[in-house]
Amino acid sequence: MAENVIKIRNVKKVYRMGQEKISAVNNISLNIAYGEICCLLGKSGSGKSTLLNLIAGLEKPTKGSIIFNKRHIERMNEDQLAKFRQQYVGFVFQSYNLLSTLTALENVTLPLIFRKVPAAERNKKAMQMLEAVGLSERANHKPAQMSGGQQQRVSIARAFINSPQVVFADEPTGNLDTKTTYEMMDLITALAQKNKQTLVIVTHDLEIAEYANRIIHISDGKIEKIQHNTNKKKATVEGGNQI
Amino acid sequence: MSTSDMIKMALRNLWKRKLRTFLTILGVVIGTASIVVMVSIGIGMNESFQQQVEQWGSLQVINVSAAGGGMVSVSNSGSSRNEKQATEITASTIEEFKKIAGVEAATPVMSEYLYFVCGKYMADASVKGIDPASMEAMGYKVEQGRFLEEGDNNTLVFGADVVTGFYNPKLSWEMRYNSPPPEVDVLNDKVMITTDWNYGTRHADKNLKPIKVDVVGILPSGGETGYAVFMPIKALEQIKQDQQEYEEKQSGTKNVNRVKKGVYQNAMVKVASMEEVQQVQDVIKEMGFQAYSLTDELETMKETTKMLRMMLGAIGAISLIVAAIGITNTMVMAIYERTREIGVMKVIGASLADIKKLFLTEAAFIGFAGGFLGIIISLGSSKIVNIIAVRTNSDMLSSIPLWLCGASLVFATFIGIAAGYLPAKRAMKLSALSAIKTE
Ligand SMILES: Nc1ncnc2c1ncn2[C@@H]1O[C@H](COP(=O)(O)OP(=O)(O)OP(=O)(O)O)[C@@H](O)[C@H]1O
Ligand SMILES: [Mg+2]
Repeated sequence: MAENVIKIRNVKKVYRMGQEKISAVNNISLNIAYGEICCLLGKSGSGKSTLLNLIAGLEKPTKGSIIFNKRHIERMNEDQLAKFRQQYVGFVFQSYNLLSTLTALENVTLPLIFRKVPAAERNKKAMQMLEAVGLSERANHKPAQMSGGQQQRVSIARAFINSPQVVFADEPTGNLDTKTTYEMMDLITALAQKNKQTLVIVTHDLEIAEYANRIIHISDGKIEKIQHNTNKKKATVEGGNQI
Repeated sequence: MSTSDMIKMALRNLWKRKLRTFLTILGVVIGTASIVVMVSIGIGMNESFQQQVEQWGSLQVINVSAAGGGMVSVSNSGSSRNEKQATEITASTIEEFKKIAGVEAATPVMSEYLYFVCGKYMADASVKGIDPASMEAMGYKVEQGRFLEEGDNNTLVFGADVVTGFYNPKLSWEMRYNSPPPEVDVLNDKVMITTDWNYGTRHADKNLKPIKVDVVGILPSGGETGYAVFMPIKALEQIKQDQQEYEEKQSGTKNVNRVKKGVYQNAMVKVASMEEVQQVQDVIKEMGFQAYSLTDELETMKETTKMLRMMLGAIGAISLIVAAIGITNTMVMAIYERTREIGVMKVIGASLADIKKLFLTEAAFIGFAGGFLGIIISLGSSKIVNIIAVRTNSDMLSSIPLWLCGASLVFATFIGIAAGYLPAKRAMKLSALSAIKTE
């Protein structure tokens, strides 16, 4: 087994709602390897989003540790987390989350803007990214002028522009129809595999889980079973240049 | 995030909510304009006071008097009484005055009421004896001829109103008033000076011989010097001595209060700049003299309108505070609307400082734009205020110096930043996760 990029050790997340305590994540330990496509699968409310957020450093665990390249995510402060995300992490959201004031191109460059990359360099890179997701003609369109699928392509381009080690995707296709869902999964897995990037996908859809090397079944905040996916779906295209 | 990216993004966010941005800026415009106009009226009032006081004489001249009496005895400003009280001014005192930092010239001063004869006409005036070399430095203006100069002796410079005040002593009072002023050319005609107020009438004292003098210059009519006559102090002293001697001879008794030569009660000190006047004045007071200048007068006038000016300023300040609240409100609303956006930015790598700076930049720009437009509007309103003031003959002139423009621009921007600080801090503290979860 290749080396692990993420090590999760005895992680617990407890939400307190008045008197009631909800263990959204209950003592989970898990390793994620470099270049792996890993899927967190489970019913609604099983705690998969919470786990993803913990790994990405968006939330602090109640207990346990999350080690990313030997660094403890749970011990970082906000500024360290910001740097960490700039360098190592990309995100794809269910609801795209593009900035409405910016064009497609600008949205893609945004992570580079935060990293103070000069305009010429970042625009060139973003154009390449938009080409890779098949949206170069829409570079100057605002999110409101694009379909959901197109917006998600922009958001995928944005997630990959930094060449992050890990891309997190929380139900990236939740708002899309079946056909577009497969296109999007093809695209995202192709991009990840091309540069040997690690991909962590949250879904409740078995069809989507088929794209993963490993499927982590989650139920009630615990790992139910880990399934090595032998008949993994192959990305149908290399660059994902199809509509 | 680089500064230029920050500014671009801030402007874009403001532009997206054009109307709201515009209304918020409008608040700042009104606030800035009212503060600038109000302050400018205060400044304008002070300037018009200054012009007014300058007509009474130079603001750079300090009148000094010794405690021994003298003609002008001005109450010691403040109750701080000096232990030592100087009683006389001599040549060495004048030298000391000249050594004070900021002093340009100093002269002893004495005054005598004397009479002038020109042909069959007479005039009278208080003659001021000064060091002739200092006359030009004292800031007087001659209309015709020249100033008194070093080496002058029985030489006079006349105020224009004294010249037009010549009358025929043979006529009754009534006839003097009803006849036009006589044509006298003091610069060229023979002029004499006398202490005898009956000269030229049948009561004239034959023993008092008038002295022939040269009139070399004429000072402009009105103001401080219209009714004044200047003469070298040595010559005036001589006249005084002769008069005292004559009086003693007449009465046969010694005058115990007889004025000694070279001892004076008054002096004038010219200071290089207005700003140094109070300082020099304090030094002179320290030496035990009473000192008074027109800047005292000016200060009193400024003091009396201080309340009014402060009220005007307060009105401006209140509108700017209201504008600041407007900015805060706008920025807080922006945070509610953009919560999700803030969360997304954080998740994809914006630092806390980036988020804070972005909001501060937006607020600062509102302040800056409002300040800028506010100044333009104030310049316009200032013109209008002045037109009205001139028509109604009021002192409420408005004057906007460049520093006021600069200061209010900086101030408005600062207000923007201050007003945006709280919202920016709040945006910064938003949890990224809960921010992206909000719909
Ligand atoms: N901020 C929170 N405060 C309180 N409870 C929470 C919070 N976030 C999640 N939970 C609870 O934790 C549990 C797991 O939530 P989570 O969002 O991880 O589920 P999920 O598996 O992603 O479900 P879905 O597929 O519907 O998105 C749920 O019972 C939820 O109610
Ligand atoms: Mg979820």
